[in-house]
Amino acid sequence: MRPFEYVRTHDMAAAVALVSADPQAEYLAGGTTELDLVLKDGVLEPGRLIDITRLPLRGITCAEDTLRVGALVTMNELAADPTVSERVPFVREALLAGASPQLRNMATIGGNLLQRTRCRYFRDATVPACNKRAPGSGCAAVRGPARMHAILGASEHCIALHASDLCVALVALDTVVEIQGVDASRSVPLTQFYVLPGDRPDIENVLQHGELITRIRIPLLPVGMRSGYLKVRDRASYEFALTSAAAALLIEDDTIVRARLALGGVGTVPWRALEAEEILHGAPATRRTFRAAAEAALRDPFTVAGTAFKIELAQRTIVRILQEASGVQS
Amino acid sequence: MTTATREKVIGEPVDRVDGPAKVTGTAHYPSDFTFPDLTHAVLVQSTIAVGTIRGIDAARAEAAPGVLAVLTHENAPALVEAPVTLVDGPPPFPFKDNRIVHRGQHVAVVVARTHEQATAASRLVEIDYEEAAAVLRIDDPRAPVMPDRFAGLSGRGPGDVARGDVAAALASAEVVYDETFTTAPVTNNPMGLFATVARWEDDQLTVHDANQWPTMVRKTLATVFDLSETDVRVLVPYLGGGFGNGLRAWPHVILTALAARVVGRPVKLVLTRPQMFTSVGHRPESLQRVRLGASRDGRLVAVAHESTSTIGSLDNGQIEPVTQVTGNAYSCPNVATHDERARLNIPCPHSMRGPGTTQGNFALESALDEVSYTLGIDPIELRLRNYTEVHPVSGQSWSSKSLRQCYRAGAERFGWERRTPEIGSMRDGNWLVGYGMAGVTFTPGEAPCQATVSISRDGTAHMRSAATDLGTGTYTIATQVTAELLGLDFDKVHVEIGDSDLPSAPYSGGSALAVSLSGAIEDAIRNLVGALLDVVADDESSPLRGRSPDEVTLGNGGIQVADAPAIGETYLDILNRHGLPEITAFGERDPWANPASRPLGSFAAWFAEVRVDADLGLPRVARMVSAVDAGRVLNEKLARSQMIGGAVMGIGMTMLEETVFDPNTGRIANATFGDYLIPANADVPDIDVVFVGTPDEVRPIGIKGLGEIGVVGVSAAIANAVYHATGRRIRSLPITIEQLL
Repeated sequence: MRPFEYVRTHDMAAAVALVSADPQAEYLAGGTTELDLVLKDGVLEPGRLIDITRLPLRGITCAEDTLRVGALVTMNELAADPTVSERVPFVREALLAGASPQLRNMATIGGNLLQRTRCRYFRDATVPACNKRAPGSGCAAVRGPARMHAILGASEHCIALHASDLCVALVALDTVVEIQGVDASRSVPLTQFYVLPGDRPDIENVLQHGELITRIRIPLLPVGMRSGYLKVRDRASYEFALTSAAAALLIEDDTIVRARLALGGVGTVPWRALEAEEILHGAPATRRTFRAAAEAALRDPFTVAGTAFKIELAQRTIVRILQEASGVQS
Repeated sequence: MTTATREKVIGEPVDRVDGPAKVTGTAHYPSDFTFPDLTHAVLVQSTIAVGTIRGIDAARAEAAPGVLAVLTHENAPALVEAPVTLVDGPPPFPFKDNRIVHRGQHVAVVVARTHEQATAASRLVEIDYEEAAAVLRIDDPRAPVMPDRFAGLSGRGPGDVARGDVAAALASAEVVYDETFTTAPVTNNPMGLFATVARWEDDQLTVHDANQWPTMVRKTLATVFDLSETDVRVLVPYLGGGFGNGLRAWPHVILTALAARVVGRPVKLVLTRPQMFTSVGHRPESLQRVRLGASRDGRLVAVAHESTSTIGSLDNGQIEPVTQVTGNAYSCPNVATHDERARLNIPCPHSMRGPGTTQGNFALESALDEVSYTLGIDPIELRLRNYTEVHPVSGQSWSSKSLRQCYRAGAERFGWERRTPEIGSMRDGNWLVGYGMAGVTFTPGEAPCQATVSISRDGTAHMRSAATDLGTGTYTIATQVTAELLGLDFDKVHVEIGDSDLPSAPYSGGSALAVSLSGAIEDAIRNLVGALLDVVADDESSPLRGRSPDEVTLGNGGIQVADAPAIGETYLDILNRHGLPEITAFGERDPWANPASRPLGSFAAWFAEVRVDADLGLPRVARMVSAVDAGRVLNEKLARSQMIGGAVMGIGMTMLEETVFDPNTGRIANATFGDYLIPANADVPDIDVVFVGTPDEVRPIGIKGLGEIGVVGVSAAIANAVYHATGRRIRSLPITIEQLL
């Protein structure tokens, strides 16, 4: 750990200006990622941390079938929101499947979107090869033991996983991210917020340095659309997903009218399964349809020895959540 | 001399005497100790697995704020070689020369005024390595093999067994079984990070240290620093667990004392969680082969069990006794077992709760389960057909053995009769349900131990010994034993342990401490009574005048004549009348000088219900039952907690835990609690424990020891249940979802 300056500000414009002007500055919100990587692992070495927890970015409001969630709302606050339980219950399920109660009390929604990968090669500064940490240095995870890693959007450059549960449900809902820069604000759909690693795994999203997530907008599901989040993990609680799936289905007369599907535990980014959704749209709600959708969702994986099992497991996870959301067992 | 208390305290589920201190924060663990001029040390560890250090540039670290010293093999004073202990040889000392034998080897110690300064500076030490090819796989033909050299924890006897003609018996057996098993390396991971605080006053060294054996650490430090043992004091009044980690004086302990001497100020070193994976041992990986020959009616005619376990390069550690108990588990005329170790460039493995036996039981009890399906015999019935009333290796009868009752009581509480034998026949929705069981034969240890017992005029008694309390309850059970034998109220007895200046005690390990310490307490009280009777030998006002220890009993706070209980007096009366503030007696027991007349064993049966999701392959342990014969149980509540704790550890190594060594670099790929999974509460089902059996006739207080047996048998019971649920026979731990998809 190298010494850093800590600044707490109550003014959003000042915070954005401070970070934008200083390439060594980073935001500090709940701290559940930042403190690990800065203080314990020594992987990030910011010169200055700007504490944004006093900025007016809290509160959850609902209007016109859209939930507006401040970036500093905590995971537990969002999980406790009645509209979430009623209209997007799989968001609540995903939130409560993540982390631990203690962490959920600290971790913010904005921070959840920006959480860094759990890849232990990234998080260990004694590992020289990590394209995400040191661009161009290679990827040790591809050659070493790797199990909790991505198989979609991955390549020999990087197999680091985006481990969020919440974002899987959010990306299925076409959530929109509101961003504040020095001169302007903008909105980006979450499906376009993340950047596939390609040969620059260090670039994880479209944020410019200094841009701040202020709020997210979650479109609510139509009444009658059933949703679910299924997380498959080795440990029964407090553990990241091996595979997970968030699904929402609207079924009329045994036919799938609308479908949303996203995957966790497999992607370098929260993975929206658009090809699978296309198969589901208009198809009969049967196990056969679900299996076809699952196979479409896992097309073109990049696996290493330790992650090959995730193809089949993810497909079975998708079939199970579609069965549960539809009530169709056979 | 006998004891005739009105109210027995041995066996009672009394609360921990150290409980209030622990929950109020007044129990001081090694890392809690501090001094006004305390400094802090942080380790720098090798980032290569094998090779040499070409050079070290510590200039930037030395110039960093607050730094007092940077110690490396280049500037550290030479030390004397550490001694061989009762258990094994010392781990290799890393600062002896420029050789690197494993990744994570300590290569420098940075001492600074604050922990943060030392941590920051530790990242500035630049090491220039010359890397060589590492040997990192247990089956690597380049790995040198270490045969059975040390016998393991003393009292466990030599390792390999050979009786009868195994080859001939296998060749002619009606049913032959031959399979290979592997168990992953797993890491002890006590909750308390190991820490050392060292302080020199002239040539006297005081060390607060996380360990399970203060007198061994004292001897090691005295030897390496060329001091008299009386000039070294090792204190560990409380310890945040160990599970075997604390049975060695690891290099960081010596380096902390060395750093304190170099900087001339007290030094504290606390290992980080990742360093706990590389610095204080782990359960080694095992590769085992089990061959069984049996008749069609389920009688074993041959058992062959061979195992290779990993060990560190240059390590003088003990053999890992994986197959040791196999020769004593069942009645079989032809048995051959063999243990050896493969030397790899990995951090030294060492003892972890039930070392060896835990891994070996998994293979043997899984193999028996497989044979039970081959023959169509109920798994319990198969074990009963091969039950042995005698200790097979010696041919003598066991000092006590209630394994039959373990099977019966365990099966009843578990509801074994509800099991339908066909695979996959017990389904509940998406869950495939399986029942499995395993038998356990375990050899607990014992070791020489000393203690003093004092009675004071304030009505209290003190028991003192250099033993430790791992957190399992030594304070409490020693209080119970002392109170009951003296015939004093429980709250009048105080126990002082965890200090090497106290009478010598063995390790908290090998399930040996409770029995060893109880034997010493018994002897001390016998001597105390003798001393009290000596005091009143010519005392005309004493009703006990002229009595010998054989003629009296203890109870109600004093001594009475055995065949005339109305005649007697209290301890206080004697002390008061003779103006004695206190009277103290020393006691000891050496089971090695006078070995028990009959062989000893603890026994158990584990039962597990496992549920596996039929589509997802997700395995979950639904409930477990254990029936245990550990002789007399000193404290029912603590004993149950010991068994439950063992089961949780067993569930961990069976379902979740694996210390993953990168086969290319030797780096541990998951050395954090975010990556190395231990069971969370949600992974721990209802665990029902029942104690059966009788007090052992041969050992003090009738104790056989149950510190380790809780972890043994868990893996096989679960794996056997997984097979019953799914038809998948998993011979490789941990059992993971990818094996069940």
